Amino acid sequence: MLIIDKELCVGCGICESSCPFGAISVVEGCAVVGDGCTLCGTCVEVCEPGALKIEGLEENASMDLASWSGVWVYGEFRGGTLAPVALELLGIGRRLADTRKVPLSVVLIGSETRDAAEQLIGHGADTVYRIDDPALAHFTDEAYGAIMTALIRQHKPEIVLAGATAIGRSFIPGVATTLGAGLTADCTQLAIREEDGTLLQTRPAFGGNIMATIACPNSRPQMSTVRPKVMAALVFDGERQGDIVDVKPRPEQLATRVRVIESVVSKEDNVNIQEADILVAGGRGLDNAKGFTLMRELADSLGGAVAATRGAVDAGWIGYPHQVGQTGKTVAPKLYIACGISGAVQHVAGMQSAETIVAINRDKDAPIFDVADFGLVGDLFEIVPKLLKAIEERRKS
Amino acid sequence: MKIIVCIKQVPDAKDVRLDPKTNTLAREGVQSIMNPYDLHAVEEAVRLRELLGGEVTVLSMGPPQAEEVLRQAISCGADQAVLVSDRAFAGADTWATSYTLAKAVNVIGAFDLVLCGKQAIDGDTAQVGPGLAMRLQIPYVTCVQKVREATDSGLVLERMMDDGYDVLALDFPALLTVVKDLNEPRVPSLKGKMRAKKAEIRRLTAADIGADPACIGLPGSPTQVVKVFPPEARRKRAVFTGNLDDQIGQLVDSLHPYL
Repeated sequence: MLIIDKELCVGCGICESSCPFGAISVVEGCAVVGDGCTLCGTCVEVCEPGALKIEGLEENASMDLASWSGVWVYGEFRGGTLAPVALELLGIGRRLADTRKVPLSVVLIGSETRDAAEQLIGHGADTVYRIDDPALAHFTDEAYGAIMTALIRQHKPEIVLAGATAIGRSFIPGVATTLGAGLTADCTQLAIREEDGTLLQTRPAFGGNIMATIACPNSRPQMSTVRPKVMAALVFDGERQGDIVDVKPRPEQLATRVRVIESVVSKEDNVNIQEADILVAGGRGLDNAKGFTLMRELADSLGGAVAATRGAVDAGWIGYPHQVGQTGKTVAPKLYIACGISGAVQHVAGMQSAETIVAINRDKDAPIFDVADFGLVGDLFEIVPKLLKAIEERRKS
Repeated sequence: MKIIVCIKQVPDAKDVRLDPKTNTLAREGVQSIMNPYDLHAVEEAVRLRELLGGEVTVLSMGPPQAEEVLRQAISCGADQAVLVSDRAFAGADTWATSYTLAKAVNVIGAFDLVLCGKQAIDGDTAQVGPGLAMRLQIPYVTCVQKVREATDSGLVLERMMDDGYDVLALDFPALLTVVKDLNEPRVPSLKGKMRAKKAEIRRLTAADIGADPACIGLPGSPTQVVKVFPPEARRKRAVFTGNLDDQIGQLVDSLHPYL
């Protein structure tokens, strides 16, 4: 619990204003903690006299940490291909494994994985545990979770990374719960703490308004889901050597209570703009419905979805599900490219939490530039095609 | 049909901002609200009850003031509410939270379905729902965007995936986490508001649910917050120079992490 040293407390109130939960207040010149306290530690950080302390962090030595060794990556495979994030995780995984001087392994679960294991080795893996079975053609939490849990118990890796994708964010929490392991979601930075080799996991919280660094010092494995497109994959090296270990799933691992009837790969109209990492948004500046064809092209090129302002939706250029703003959806993608959008308050309210905002507009005084990280003043019908070409060329190089 | 909906009271994340001068969190005007995804979980539970009969129990773990969101859920149609509240729960991560909720569910008794929001907007972890299902030893489906069929014995659902959706069938008991596309939550009726005002909220402590002190709160949490800090300057407001091609080149350089 949070301990307040009444002797040291000067009643300055900095803790009160720093508390994200409104759980601490200054009463008669001394800080008092209320029921809302989550022990997040923000107040401890800001307290200059050092009057605040969190107790209960003493070592829990019940676990033999040293017997857990190696870095593991879940090599997400769906629809016949490896998810790009699997290769990105090998990039960061390689670095973590080299720092810890341990091997880097991948768990590949699926059906007809063909040369995926070789791909994983070429991108940095030392060992690939391959579980390839027709019964694993469709993702299920139960089968994938049971296989992953059993392999972790058998081989005892110290670190397990998975992509913060629909699949990773679904079955990895179940695995962590069963293992009694700490799991940190949506990490954007990973590093090894020098003193004790603990994994430091940094992630955004409160819609990205705060960053938090999390550690699991007393339990193993240390598990993280990692946001796609944050880590860089290593260049493929066909000469790299590694082991492929085929593991046969046990029948009870394949028995699932949830039955997959079908997997539907959607056309863009079904895409939920709130879930998209990248949004290309169009406003009145597009002039007509055809303008959205260009938006779609840019969105497809970036692997994103198309969003719109109320003005564009009201004009009938695109459907309501795409509308962002006070009367539409609130979105917080990693990248929001606003094309021909003036930046009305009601629109900005729905997208200002985006990680990076790019504005393209003819009017250099448009308010959208006030909330943008990057702005281009000019004709979007000239800029967007050039941007598409430049992105393509950059990818090739 | 017995349905339990797990809900959470959260600070309205869009209001939580860092004071750029002091580097501390500006708290002024931050409202406590029901986690937005949970509104949709409550709504779906009420719809299923209207279709199949039964009762809806809302459950929250939190400080005493979390009663507010439980009353709100009753005003939206839930039948009864349980607050599991104890200072000993403070500092719980998702592992300890799912343990605590599972213990509370066991006290509430038999159920067919547990519903949760996809994630809470303060932590954004999406881990408590799956964790709770594992502890209750029932199957789960995350990010449910549509209930296609509902009968006394089970459901046919759509689960949102990164590239579309999966259609899934399951039998009760089960746990679902839901996204906002699932339904449009109703506005509480005047009658509902009256009922919520008078409703008695059942209180459970750590002792009431038979919680092992080593599994709850900070001691029961494998993850620990090492530090909290502001993100890098939020808006760069970069102005590119040169001709249009140069500007586009600079933009593509800047967008490198997303390409």
